[in-house]
Amino acid sequence: MERINNYEQFKKSSSGIKKERESNSSKVIIKIAMATCSIASGAGPVFDLFKDEMPKQPKEFVLIPTGCLGLCHSEPTVEVTLPGSDPVVFGKVDVKRAGLIISDYIMKGKTVDCIIEGN
Amino acid sequence: MSCSEKQEQIKKTIAGICSEFNDDPNELIAILHKAQGHYGFLPKEVQSAIAERIGVPASKVYGIVTFYSYFTMEPKGKYPISICMGTACYVQGAEKVLQEFESRLEIKNGQTTADGKFSINTLRCIGACGLAPVVMIGDKVYGNVKTEEVKKIISEYN
Amino acid sequence: MKSKQIKIALRNCGHIDPERIEDYISYDGYAALGRCMFEDTPSSVTDKIKQSGLRGRGGGGFPTGKKWELCAASVSDKKYVICNADEGDPGAFMDRSVLEGDPHSVLEAMAICGYCIGADEGYIYIRAEYPLAIKRLKIAIAQAEEAGLLGDRIMGSDFSFKIRLKYGAGAFVCGEETALIKSMEGNRGEPIMKPPYPAQKGYMGKPTNVNNVETFANVAAILNRGAEWFSSIGTEGSKGTKVFALAGKVKNVGLVEVPMGTTLRELIYEIGGGIKSGKKFKAVQSGEPSGGCLTEKHLDTPIDYESLKAAGSMMGSGGMIVMDEDDCMVAVAKFYLEFIVEESCGKCVPCREGNKVLYNILDKITHGKGELSDLDKLKNFGNIIKSTSLCGLGQTAPNPVLSTLDNFYDEYYDHVVNKKCAAKQCRSLITYRIIEENCVGCGACKRVCPAEAISGELKQKHLIDQETCIKCGACIKKCRFNAIVVE
Repeated sequence: MERINNYEQFKKSSSGIKKERESNSSKVIIKIAMATCSIASGAGPVFDLFKDEMPKQPKEFVLIPTGCLGLCHSEPTVEVTLPGSDPVVFGKVDVKRAGLIISDYIMKGKTVDCIIEGN
Repeated sequence: MSCSEKQEQIKKTIAGICSEFNDDPNELIAILHKAQGHYGFLPKEVQSAIAERIGVPASKVYGIVTFYSYFTMEPKGKYPISICMGTACYVQGAEKVLQEFESRLEIKNGQTTADGKFSINTLRCIGACGLAPVVMIGDKVYGNVKTEEVKKIISEYN
Repeated sequence: MKSKQIKIALRNCGHIDPERIEDYISYDGYAALGRCMFEDTPSSVTDKIKQSGLRGRGGGGFPTGKKWELCAASVSDKKYVICNADEGDPGAFMDRSVLEGDPHSVLEAMAICGYCIGADEGYIYIRAEYPLAIKRLKIAIAQAEEAGLLGDRIMGSDFSFKIRLKYGAGAFVCGEETALIKSMEGNRGEPIMKPPYPAQKGYMGKPTNVNNVETFANVAAILNRGAEWFSSIGTEGSKGTKVFALAGKVKNVGLVEVPMGTTLRELIYEIGGGIKSGKKFKAVQSGEPSGGCLTEKHLDTPIDYESLKAAGSMMGSGGMIVMDEDDCMVAVAKFYLEFIVEESCGKCVPCREGNKVLYNILDKITHGKGELSDLDKLKNFGNIIKSTSLCGLGQTAPNPVLSTLDNFYDEYYDHVVNKKCAAKQCRSLITYRIIEENCVGCGACKRVCPAEAISGELKQKHLIDQETCIKCGACIKKCRFNAIVVE
């Protein structure tokens, strides 16, 4: 990030960054929890799978490694937001389920099990 | 290598570490972290080299090494087994898991196997309570460990 | 699971990439710091924190704004801001989650605090056991410095603030602020008498403000959304939310953030989903390791500093361990005491020696050698330790024993008089027995028994020799005919 030298510049830069984030709403947003417990339950390979497979799909996307949502009982968790839809959180995602999330939910909008209720 | 030569080598290494922290006694804990990272443990020779270098009594260094549970004067095994004894792990049966490791490896908590391969120690909560009971071997975390799985886990390292 | 939750301290956790400062900025990150420096004054910002009603989340519950004010009032050429990230409670991971998921929220708040009290240097005292949190904090500090949001002349203003990391080395007592400061200075982490308070004489003898991670994580949100908004959440004396690490025998283990005033029942049953595998709820322990074990009758207690204290527990830093019918309360009390005995720094006698006495009595009881008079001794010693120890560790250490004695007296009585452990946890008080009618003589138990305590020919009834039995329970796991019972 460029160096901020005065307050005006910060405000301008900050609103620019905000706009950039908002423009992501036309893309598929994939957030993968990458905290200590998520990684211990196997979030690493899941993240790699999304990183390798998503570019092959004909959809614009952003992939964001995040901290945890606090859903330790369901790690690894993946949150997917399709354009115009509410975010959906998938729990206990392994590589196989991650593949299904891509092929069925992201590409076809079909529900996949392992959605965590009430989010 | 003779004993005094070894001591010279330790002194040299420790001098390097201490100078990163400007030989500042206020940084003693940071120095010990670094030294333990290098040697794997903090034997007496290392402690006295540090004391001499930064100008504090060896008793002070020893006092700190024994005060903090992170520091150890025993060499750890090649595969250090850490069993979490936080409350969440305790109520999920960590004590039984510890006993299983102890009886399979025939060493007690805090000891290292004769071949230097495994050592067992307990620690207080690694913050992965959602996976309790938790065992760490090196950097690898095993969650929801059952006593029946201990044998298999050990065999991964044989 | 989240309906009752309001996320303030955890607002960004799970939503932003903690390794990209832009992500934090895109959610109003560093906006509060900017406004403080260019549109506000230190005393007015401190007033806002005071008005919000924010209290320390590390356990003490001291009003945060008041703390800042005291430190601001100390005259000195040098002051320090310290973030206590030495999360040593056995069963708590709130701070780790914040540091791994949203490190900038802590950095920004520390800078705001520095601006308010007149400090230009901050330290984060963090557990060496949290490598990922350390890595992400280092990245965050480097990015903020590069962007001119930390370091010299922040955003071109006159205010400079640097943040460094110091590593803890595994000593629970270092959660106490004077002990933490001692440890930062390269000493054994032994607490000292207060006053002087750190606000007057702290790190390197200079005025120092110490707050915990979760407290800091609330600050920027309060300044962005207003003190009134924050104080509209919670109860009369406890404003805002509290993060809990819900663990133990509850279905949905995890990190939750609820408004103050939420009841224990709502937390355990609605958010936590109730008790695992259909077992019966027995107790919940908050504020560990020095909180009390509360029971069924306390479930409607609202979670706030005062109510939990009145019920015989405490808020603590946010560990919340749920126990079911399989947990023996005497053994649980012993477990906590063992922790305290190990972690007592040894400086004052009541804590060092007294807790050891408590532990020995509990050990005796769990081995079936307790006497009725031991229960009175536990109570007497416990109260003495509470009233005469030097620091918070010793003053609260007997809580688990005293609260279980109060709430589960029958269980203690059972151990001492009837030599029975209803939860079947205390090995010396249980026996494994083979039910003859159910035994088909398959020999599975005999083969698995490590002590060779089981005898019997194939297809004949088997028998456990009580003298040799080490009560490991291996046989009961192997038996497919429900022929072995624990009594």
